[in-house]
Amino acid sequence: MSHFIRNCIYQGKNLFREGSYTFWVILYPIILATFFYAAFGGMMDPSFEDLKVGVEENSGITHVLEEIDFINIYEVSKDELVQKFENDEIDAFVDDNLNLTVNKSGINQTIIKEVVEQIKQTIKLNRPIDGSEFSVSYVLGRDQESNSLTVIFYSLIAMVSTYGVFAGVETASLIQANLSNIAIRINSTPLKKQNFLIAGVMVSLLLNLFANAALLLFINYILKIHLFNNIKYSTIIILLGNLFGVILGIFIGVSNKKSSTKTLMAIAITLLLSFFSGMMGPWIKVMIDKHVPFLSRVNPISIMSNNLYRINFLGSTKSLGEGVIILIGYCIMLLFASYLFLRRKSYDSI
Amino acid sequence: MKEMIVKVKNVVKRYSEKLALDHFNMEVKEGEILGLLGPNGCGKTTAINCILSLLNFDKGEIQLFGQKMTPNSYDIKRQIGLVPQEVSVFENLTVRENIDYFCGLYVDDKNTRRRYVDEAIEFVGLKDYVKYYPKKLSGGLKRRLNIACGIVHKPKLIFLDEPTVAVDAQSRNFILEGIRKLNQEGSTIIYTTHYLEEAEMLCSRIIIMDNGKDLVSGTTEELKAMITTSEKIVVSFLSLEDEMIDSMHKIPHVVDIEKKGEDLIIKFENGNNNLSNLISFITEHKLTYRKLYSQLPTLNDVFLELTGRELRD
Ligand SMILES: Nc1ncnc2c1ncn2[C@@H]1O[C@H](COP(=O)(O)OP(=O)(O)OP(=O)(O)O)[C@@H](O)[C@H]1O
Ligand SMILES: [Mg+2]
Repeated sequence: MSHFIRNCIYQGKNLFREGSYTFWVILYPIILATFFYAAFGGMMDPSFEDLKVGVEENSGITHVLEEIDFINIYEVSKDELVQKFENDEIDAFVDDNLNLTVNKSGINQTIIKEVVEQIKQTIKLNRPIDGSEFSVSYVLGRDQESNSLTVIFYSLIAMVSTYGVFAGVETASLIQANLSNIAIRINSTPLKKQNFLIAGVMVSLLLNLFANAALLLFINYILKIHLFNNIKYSTIIILLGNLFGVILGIFIGVSNKKSSTKTLMAIAITLLLSFFSGMMGPWIKVMIDKHVPFLSRVNPISIMSNNLYRINFLGSTKSLGEGVIILIGYCIMLLFASYLFLRRKSYDSI
Repeated sequence: MKEMIVKVKNVVKRYSEKLALDHFNMEVKEGEILGLLGPNGCGKTTAINCILSLLNFDKGEIQLFGQKMTPNSYDIKRQIGLVPQEVSVFENLTVRENIDYFCGLYVDDKNTRRRYVDEAIEFVGLKDYVKYYPKKLSGGLKRRLNIACGIVHKPKLIFLDEPTVAVDAQSRNFILEGIRKLNQEGSTIIYTTHYLEEAEMLCSRIIIMDNGKDLVSGTTEELKAMITTSEKIVVSFLSLEDEMIDSMHKIPHVVDIEKKGEDLIIKFENGNNNLSNLISFITEHKLTYRKLYSQLPTLNDVFLELTGRELRD
């Protein structure tokens, strides 16, 4: 046990003191977050969460609308209506027959209109009415532009949760005698290869989780963007992302010979996957969802960012199960593929 | 009788096309300092890596401490120290941390470990650099760290792969002295080098290697006794005609005469009175010489006679 801890401490020190590692894993995500905030911050729709809808007193529609997170309900009598509109105390008024009254057109009015339309349809189809369903299908269906920033940040978090990839690459090269000089020395000692690797994976996970926490705190307290409502499921996704990243790193590490290309490869892979998941602007995600929806179902970073978005923003866990299974599947596949390289203990050439 | 610690029998190692070890043999007894001497590319490092099971080999047998060596022979590995040819340390651990890390892979007890680490630092003279990162060390100091990491646990058997390459003369003597001390404290040493004097000074026995083969093995004296040249006399004449060189061949025991600049190197095979025979010849022919001295053959002569090539530093 103490051997294991010693290995963790020394491998941790060796990783943490590596300038490029600290940069990519800790500083780079924070820089990106700041950059996105500055570049896309205007797209955030601040009033989205509190649409003010007027209803009649004791209206039958109240209980449906109440369940929709982003709608605040005000009881308004028809006489007060004009004045309330003028004072901007309500964005729209819905009567018992689901007739919508607005006095101007804007994004808030559009949203309310769509919600009301959906309620009407549900009633027509004779399905039970459940408020949360509307918000889910509504937000999924509408043009994503107004919550670009949220999508971008979920993608960013998904990406950096896989940044254990760098530590994975490093750990792999430290133990493969055909990859580094130091591995020759380590393999001549009585230290078992698997023990070194397990310690390396643990340390990589820990350091990366630490880096993730730093980023989340930065986003939450400095940029003041609140992304998490469901901590439990979000944590599961982020943990899985970490595991995926480290194992991907080990795989890249053991399956390639030259070391300078490996870090580049890790950066390229994670960046590309993040790009497709909408990190550089949601249009790419919208396009992929439209033309090759399969891609965003299998892109691990899309899986993570979509689920973070759905869990926290929409309160939906519908696709969580599938996502978790696919991610675990990737981990197992990569682990097995890495094992094929790792189990070799002496080499034809070093 | 001293125990045989290393046994390498007829090992063949091929890198795709290149034959790196060609039925290589080596035996090392406990307490020896064995020198593996040979030119660049003769297969010294390959031999060590095969012995340590880091490399696969195509044929042959390798035993360490009387057991077959495999990648999983952790009990054997526990008794071994390796100083690889390339500096192999953690870039982001300090001198002391590096030494302590490797020591900890063998030594569990904290106090023993601290003592061993201190001794290793003392041993390689890195006391003033314990807090340095390897990249801040000069090439020679890095090599010393490389040595410290390989010997800190006081192993029974130590492989040193050209530890003094790129090290200044002073550091080199320091290192050689240290290796002798390790040997006196009970470690068996396998030392690869292409420096003749180093092998001659340090090693109790030498294996001369070329093209992946072990050519000969023995103490320096034994090796020198194997070749026909047993004495070389270097003379520098003021002037000398070529016919005179021809008649010199008639001096008893002369095997070869070589002209090197001003100097004439006359090689003798076993025999007595070579020097006085030569001087008689000189007096008889009234030759004038500027200098004249006798030299015993060097390992270079041994290598030259075995391979037809010189092994120079
Ligand atoms: N990984 C490899 N792939 C192919 N050929 C190799 C490899 N490693 C070494 N060789 C070749 O095998 C031969 C023996 O190499 P080795 O490194 O064992 O020599 P060496 O005696 O240690 O030389 P040096 O004194 O330069 O360290 C050389 O011809 C070398 O070019
Ligand atoms: Mg070598």
